[in-house]
Amino acid sequence: MAKRLAAWVDYALALIVLLAAWWFATGPMEMPTYLLPSPLRTWNALVGIAVTGELWVHLGFTLQNIVLGLVFGCVAGIALAYLMTRFPKLAVWLDGPLVILQTAPKIALAPLFVVWFGFGILSKIILIFSLVFFPVFIGAVSGFRSLDPKMKDLAKLLSLGTFQRFRQIELPSAMPEIFVGLKIGAVQALVGAVLAEWMSGKFGLGYLMTFASATYKTPLLFAAVLMTVVLGLLLHVMLTMLENRLLSWKGAKK
Amino acid sequence: MAQSERMIDIVGVHKTFVSDHGTVTALEPVSITIKPGEFISIVGPSGCGKSTLLRLISGLDQASGGTITLDTAGRKRPVGFVFQEPVLLPWKTIIENVRFPLDTAGVGRAQGDKIALDLIKMVGLAGFEKALPRQLSGGMRQRAAIARSLSDDPPILLMDEPFSAVDLMTRDTLNDELLRIWQSTGKTILLVTHSVDEAAYLADRVMVMTARPGKLKCIHDVDLARPRGEKTKLDPAYHALVAQLRRDLRISGGEAH
Repeated sequence: MAKRLAAWVDYALALIVLLAAWWFATGPMEMPTYLLPSPLRTWNALVGIAVTGELWVHLGFTLQNIVLGLVFGCVAGIALAYLMTRFPKLAVWLDGPLVILQTAPKIALAPLFVVWFGFGILSKIILIFSLVFFPVFIGAVSGFRSLDPKMKDLAKLLSLGTFQRFRQIELPSAMPEIFVGLKIGAVQALVGAVLAEWMSGKFGLGYLMTFASATYKTPLLFAAVLMTVVLGLLLHVMLTMLENRLLSWKGAKK
Repeated sequence: MAQSERMIDIVGVHKTFVSDHGTVTALEPVSITIKPGEFISIVGPSGCGKSTLLRLISGLDQASGGTITLDTAGRKRPVGFVFQEPVLLPWKTIIENVRFPLDTAGVGRAQGDKIALDLIKMVGLAGFEKALPRQLSGGMRQRAAIARSLSDDPPILLMDEPFSAVDLMTRDTLNDELLRIWQSTGKTILLVTHSVDEAAYLADRVMVMTARPGKLKCIHDVDLARPRGEKTKLDPAYHALVAQLRRDLRISGGEAH
């Protein structure tokens, strides 16, 4: 407990130093606002859009896309990994196409997704999905493949059905590897969400950034960037909590 | 146990594996009839097919020929199996692990808990119901595995070197507890072991198997008085049997034990 408290004090100190440097650059050093707005101006810009409600619309939109992309990406990644371990023939057929898709830079495909799936929410979710899918899929494949053969014997002895086997044995034992993929995927998801909003649409933190920079509202731009940082932290905390819940049996992890 | 005197009927069962180097005979034809409530030890060196025989009886593997008939009246799960390692689900607590066969068979939670708690008490793990497997010692985990194998009350219990991974003192204790469990439940037990002492101490009959190719060499009746305990280990008849078993294994050119 004391150790955790000390860690928080360290975090707070680092943040204060950063803020002080920022304030120094904008105050005594007199950096112009269009290059570097002061902490106070940034804060005011943030409070401004928070009060009008604009902030919550954009934040909610981005968060919603990330969550949807993560959920679909995870379900699809786990499902395909499971099918490929159940049916090795499928793995042989899909191996080549999957390698090509996996190595293709998804970010570079983003404009194509807009052409194919429009300016709306669909193209954004598909981009996020494609970024989440592969890390989760690769984690799940290695998770399912490393299943202890003794566990298979146990399932056979108890004559478990396919669903019982999956739910009770295969999925929980693959969970640690799936989580490794999911954590990589979550970082990618945020990048994908912001990028997709840069390109098209009228909502989201990414849109807010392009709007602010196009109209030279640098304090607003800073506020938007700060919010994406906060969003990233939020995702990290949520996943860590989920991990602690689901994987507590692996032993204490911070 | 009036219905039948044949709990397990094995007739000419054999097993060959096909590998890259040709076929390997894991088990030459074996025939034996095992009575209900009998305690059989199977002893032999590595590669004698004793684990293979157990896997064939359990249905985990298919025999290449011969028949195995279990008098278990069409039960979905006629055998309980205890592996060399505990094979507990690491994400489940001890009581959840013991209850697992019941949960997956659709038995209600209240009834499942009652059965599991009784079994946990019987194997001496009371107070550890909510512990995770990794928090227990090897011997305790193996006790939990035994409790799990008994939870849906199979008439036959197959044990594949269940105590080979625990230290000698724990092993002696677990052997005595196994005898107590056997006497209170009336299960038919087949126990595979490397140890001739263990085989003689526990069983009604000892099957001696030899390696390359794996085959049943002979069967000894064990006429030591029950219940067995420290006194059995001082009995000259016990020592004579152990010595005989060692000779059987040595003459056949099996690895020393």
